[in-house]
Amino acid sequence: MTEIEISDEIMGKKFIELAFDHCIKCSTCKYSYKEFMMSCPSGEKHLFESFWASGRIRTTRGLILGELEWNDDIKDVIFACPTCGACMDACQAPHADYIVDIIESLREVAVKEIGPAKNQEKLIERATNPEMWNPYGEPNSNNNDLKEEYNLPDKAEWVYFIGCTSNYRQKSLRDATLRFLKKANIDFTLIDEHCCTSPMLRTGQVEKCKEFMQYNIEKIEETGASKVITSCAGCYRTLKKDFKKFGIEFDFEVLHTAELINDLINENKIEFKSDFKKKVTYHDPCHLGRHMNIYEIPRAIYRSIPGLELVEMERNKNHSWCCGAGGGVKIGYPEWSLEISEKRLREARETEAVILSSTCPFCKTNLNDANEKFNFGFEVLDLIEIIDGLEYKVKN
Amino acid sequence: MTETEEKRISDKISKENVSNELIKIFGGENVSQRVVDLYPYSYDMTECEAKMPDFVVLPENNQQLVELVKFCNSNSIPIVPYITGNNVGGLTIPQQGGIIVDFSKKMNRILHINEDMMYALLEPGVTFGQLKKRLDDNYPNLRYSYPYAPPYAGVVGNAILSGMNNLSCKIGSMGDSINGLEVITANGEIARIGSCFYGKEEADVDSWWCRYPMPDLMGLFVNWQGMTGLVTKCAVQLWPNPAYKKTFLALVFGLKDVASVIREVGKTDVIDDISAVSTEVVKMTVEIPEPKKVPGEPDFAALFPISGKTKKLLDAKSEIVEAKFEELKKKGKNIIIADVDEFAKIFNLRVRCHLDLPAVLLSLVEYSGLTWFGSYAPIHKLEELIEQVNIIFQKHKVPAFIYMKIMKSGHYGIFRPIIRFNKYKDGEEERIHHLLEEITDFCISKGCIPYKTPTWMTAKLRKKINPGWLNLFEKIKQCMDPNHIFNPGRWNT
Repeated sequence: MTEIEISDEIMGKKFIELAFDHCIKCSTCKYSYKEFMMSCPSGEKHLFESFWASGRIRTTRGLILGELEWNDDIKDVIFACPTCGACMDACQAPHADYIVDIIESLREVAVKEIGPAKNQEKLIERATNPEMWNPYGEPNSNNNDLKEEYNLPDKAEWVYFIGCTSNYRQKSLRDATLRFLKKANIDFTLIDEHCCTSPMLRTGQVEKCKEFMQYNIEKIEETGASKVITSCAGCYRTLKKDFKKFGIEFDFEVLHTAELINDLINENKIEFKSDFKKKVTYHDPCHLGRHMNIYEIPRAIYRSIPGLELVEMERNKNHSWCCGAGGGVKIGYPEWSLEISEKRLREARETEAVILSSTCPFCKTNLNDANEKFNFGFEVLDLIEIIDGLEYKVKN
Repeated sequence: MTETEEKRISDKISKENVSNELIKIFGGENVSQRVVDLYPYSYDMTECEAKMPDFVVLPENNQQLVELVKFCNSNSIPIVPYITGNNVGGLTIPQQGGIIVDFSKKMNRILHINEDMMYALLEPGVTFGQLKKRLDDNYPNLRYSYPYAPPYAGVVGNAILSGMNNLSCKIGSMGDSINGLEVITANGEIARIGSCFYGKEEADVDSWWCRYPMPDLMGLFVNWQGMTGLVTKCAVQLWPNPAYKKTFLALVFGLKDVASVIREVGKTDVIDDISAVSTEVVKMTVEIPEPKKVPGEPDFAALFPISGKTKKLLDAKSEIVEAKFEELKKKGKNIIIADVDEFAKIFNLRVRCHLDLPAVLLSLVEYSGLTWFGSYAPIHKLEELIEQVNIIFQKHKVPAFIYMKIMKSGHYGIFRPIIRFNKYKDGEEERIHHLLEEITDFCISKGCIPYKTPTWMTAKLRKKINPGWLNLFEKIKQCMDPNHIFNPGRWNT
């Protein structure tokens, strides 16, 4: 380990230390490995070395060593990145899997020194507001209405963790998930959830994260559930990967909806009674793909739907181009966020698909926003929404 | 440590006026003087001292660069060309500040590939990965030659600095593979060198097919580390991509014996490339970060790729190589021969990165620092070089990392001790530098000529070089760059 002094108060201390131990700036992080395609939205936009992963690692070093000053000039370098993880996938060095952790840890220090990027403070203001508990600033839904509507018990084997984006911005996705779980006879319930902390973690505003995590765990444990399911790639990554980083332990299993559906298909428990005669292209959410290594499960589901023709964009799976919403970019750099999505939509258009589909409500939001702004004419649907539109039977 | 305090860029013009002029030439979004943007250009992977540039610009075309050169020449402002900063010699660290010209972001087009005459016309920012993809997708019958560098090292930088490649035993140095150059000289003129020299207007893309027979002005720019002008186009030779390929792996016992093995096999004249590395390097490749030498292990591993247009040709080459190995064994050399594809499958697929170039070699990217003594070497001295450098490595308690090549069937060789280190561990840079300096002194004493040299190394060289050569070198530099704007400080100018 390096001998650089970093305060013990920094949650991401060990990741910042990694920035000193590795990275010779070989530039491999800049493009998809062996496919040699553009993959970094931040670097491709801003171009100077400081905006690529290796540049951010250098900036981290410079700031910690005191060679660079904390000032507003450095904010974009630190925050103008959707943390999509394309750099992690491309990098072949020992620190590869931790590049996003390094960037997020740099953001954690930056928030203390110079504050968050423009507008990103709203995420925490809203999420910590006792009337809201979500980054969208909507009045908190304790989900009792939904429990009542769907006749859900207080105690159950599963908890459906809806996530703020599905609950406040993509309700059709939420409702499609609820209907699927009911139809699949899953014994599930809902909790009065607070933000999963993904927006806080991605923007370096980590102070309240542990509190939020503990709250959500307590609520889940109160239900007696042994499994938590979510349709949100961001919540999934956070629950499954980030809670552990904060020392939060839990006994339940975390699944993405796609995993459950895939299991049911593999067990021959889903019988589709109608077809979906449309060409669909799948956008891999960064938080499900590169961050959690789930690529084939959603594809297997699309392929199992009668009539559906799945076509791939040029950059797919681990080489996918990000939708541009993550890492605080949607709120911090809204115009650029849509520019990133626009590039993805262009790529989708090349496939001649009519449906652009994903497995993340936040991807759906941004892709749809760009779809409307730039008049691409796609129907943007989540996988669960496609399934919701079909007639199907789930056998017990 | 990088000194980030502001200083004067020129005695003739204020920094503000320089900024205004650069913005006029390149547009505001393509110019930065923010310290955070300059910082990554201030140092590289080596232990070379970091120095801050004053500006970084992202050029898009020659017109901008002509204006830049004229402006800098009038005001004596340094210009430092930058592609991806992957060199191992501090070559893009601005010794005297000035303007970094980052070619890799917007001047990175493959302008033309001529299938008949087998060359690619490139802008400076093109990377190995980019060229590989273009060839694989569109010209599968052609191949380029790739070094053991990351896929995003620059092709043109490698060529004009006489870098290595994986056809070295056949074609020699990459500097020999250049068909033509376009350069901007100090007065802002654009000169074309090679068969592209006909015509007053822009050269036809199909005219970059040969370097000779006119006076070879290429030498004014090749190996000069950007000290004589800005290279804006470069045509490099491509090669037929044979359908049949095979790589022999030889594990050689006996520290010095590898030298005669690679020399002798090189002379068979059927090998594409010969590269030999210390056994410790093989261990690094398979994720053993600090390998220790175990008694009884082979001392070196050497790769011998061969290729043929037909299976029959490949078999014939194999037969020649195998016969040579047998002959060497009979002479007492202790060698184990393996098919590297099978070896990789059995031991560790990471070994394949040495075969499927361009690729990242874990052994080169494992730490935060990497440095070397990279040299062209007289191959009859390899035994002495290996033995003594190994002792120096041991003395400094650093795992031996020796990399060697046989060039052009054995006309000359490459001898390159490499050192990985943690740049941020207290005292590590100094410790590694002492080791490297000791290696450098010894290797130079044996006639090795370092390439892609850092300034501390050229300072040593200058003490040894024939005065006539140095005087001629200085005269040419003065003539080509009277106001010392092109990468000043390189070669201690």
